[in-house]
Amino acid sequence: MIRYILRRLLLMIPVAFLVTIGVFVLARISPVDPVLVFAGEERDPVQLEAIRHQLGLDQPLPIQYVAWLTHALQGDLGRSFQNHQRVAEAIIERLPATLELGAAALLISVSFALVIGVVSAVKRNSAIDLLSTGVTLMGVSFPSFFLGVLLILLFSYVIPGRIFPPGGYTPLTTDAGQNLRYLVLPAVTLATASLALNLRQVRSSLLEVFGLDYMRTARGKGLREGTIITRHALKNALIPVVTLVGIQVGAIIEGAVITETIFSWPGVGRLVVQAIPSHDYPVVQGVVLVSALSFMLSTLLVDVLYARVDPRISFESAA
Amino acid sequence: MAGTTVPLVLGRARNERVASTIYFLRRNPRMIVGGAIVLAWLFLAAFAPIIAPFDPIKVNVIESLEPPNSTHWLGTDDLGRDVFSRVLWGSRISLSVGLISVSIGLLVGTSLGLAAGYIGGKFDLLIMRGVDALLAFPALILAIAITSALGPQIQNAMIAIGIVAIPAYARLTRGQVLAVRARDFIVAARTIGCSPLRIVMRHIFPNVMNALIVQATLSTAFAILAEAALSFLGLGPQPPYPSWGQDINYSQRYLANLKWWMSVGPGVAIFTAVFAFNFLGDALRDALDPRLRRSA
Repeated sequence: MIRYILRRLLLMIPVAFLVTIGVFVLARISPVDPVLVFAGEERDPVQLEAIRHQLGLDQPLPIQYVAWLTHALQGDLGRSFQNHQRVAEAIIERLPATLELGAAALLISVSFALVIGVVSAVKRNSAIDLLSTGVTLMGVSFPSFFLGVLLILLFSYVIPGRIFPPGGYTPLTTDAGQNLRYLVLPAVTLATASLALNLRQVRSSLLEVFGLDYMRTARGKGLREGTIITRHALKNALIPVVTLVGIQVGAIIEGAVITETIFSWPGVGRLVVQAIPSHDYPVVQGVVLVSALSFMLSTLLVDVLYARVDPRISFESAA
Repeated sequence: MAGTTVPLVLGRARNERVASTIYFLRRNPRMIVGGAIVLAWLFLAAFAPIIAPFDPIKVNVIESLEPPNSTHWLGTDDLGRDVFSRVLWGSRISLSVGLISVSIGLLVGTSLGLAAGYIGGKFDLLIMRGVDALLAFPALILAIAITSALGPQIQNAMIAIGIVAIPAYARLTRGQVLAVRARDFIVAARTIGCSPLRIVMRHIFPNVMNALIVQATLSTAFAILAEAALSFLGLGPQPPYPSWGQDINYSQRYLANLKWWMSVGPGVAIFTAVFAFNFLGDALRDALDPRLRRSA
């Protein structure tokens, strides 16, 4: 097992190296001179050259890359051009809000997917099944930002009493009740797309398992239907669902970009969106790097978990 | 004699093709529904300048913020611009970004996949590590990063979404090439002296076509959604030009005044277009490639 994880980590290194090159190049292909962005109102050529030298931007690109990578490996992702805050610090500051939103969305998505997916598979072709299939199909095609706008319209303005606020954030530690009120709409918005995917996966995995011989044996033994589903069917059917959810965990920052923007949620996604118009490349670069690496790590964890929960997969062949 | 027989045979073959197409469509009603909505959007986009009742960017403050009525079917925005006309013109942007970016992904990804799968060795290793690196980025984050680096313009959105689409085509094509390259007909083609280019294009590529058609349809749905997301974040076409995502973002400032029609028009447009391509793609996958159906 440890050998397998180490081998996978080693295989990740060249890909991670290419990812860092990609992130570095992306920040350098922009037609906007970063020195002008950093300097703000300052336009004195001598001062601009001094800033360029201090930022190391007068060096050849490979040297700039090595310097950037060396700093990044030590956790230093540079400073924001806008407010000169350390990028790593800015990301860490906003990470709890993003993780809270992501965790709430996953909780909603997975719990609803499990309940509706199981009912849908057990009562195949029933009204509930048809409804859930329709919801699945619509969920994957429904733009999250449109859903967010509709939810704000309905729960913040149309229904009297402003059940949920249209945007904002109160930390969990300051006021848990208020935090929950702010959390509901963005979490539901973020959960919808993944709910559709998870629901489809739970339903189709269960239907596949229902057709297998050991299920017939379980029924033949006279086990209760509830026991058959929870103890026998779900155990195997959930393996692909675990994979899917694991990948969704890694893509939390990606999902949060749009949702955090709609609901003014002060997370990492909003940080990158606010950095774009002001050409704050160190911030964009930092967030892109962190989200790519977390995506890669979660994929690795999913593979390890997959190999662990499914005895049919041997570590040798999976590697 | 021969002169009369050949057209008869060809005519029968044509009739059989038409009959089998009708049979195929009748057995796949989802394809008809999805295809019809896709065709409807393509028609609306192509003829938007004729169909749209108003100029989508013409300001008319006298008629601003009007709810849907007989003159302005989907109402007007704060500058008095007709929402229906903006939705129609916006379809030109969304569909063209969708189709062009998918073409970029298809062309580059398929070429890389064919070359990597056929040539193999170090070339394959190099290409596939590059593809893995692209796959390591969450799709929307990569599209945002590329568009923000190149600048918020429609052509940059196309390039960004196209680059994001490359890995799926490259992996799919490479997998299919590896599956057929050792088959007898490829060995036979090599034995009779076919050039590598001819083998790839005439013998391997047709075997990949079905999977590519399915992938292209499904990734057009993703591309339309991604373009709308980029526009929503201000990284697509810039105002005053109409774009579905950007118009929804703009409408947010009037939600408190309950001017719902400003966002409902473009929102429903995105949903129906993405839904149609997803629906069509799913139906094509079930019909053309049952193996993909199982793995989905």
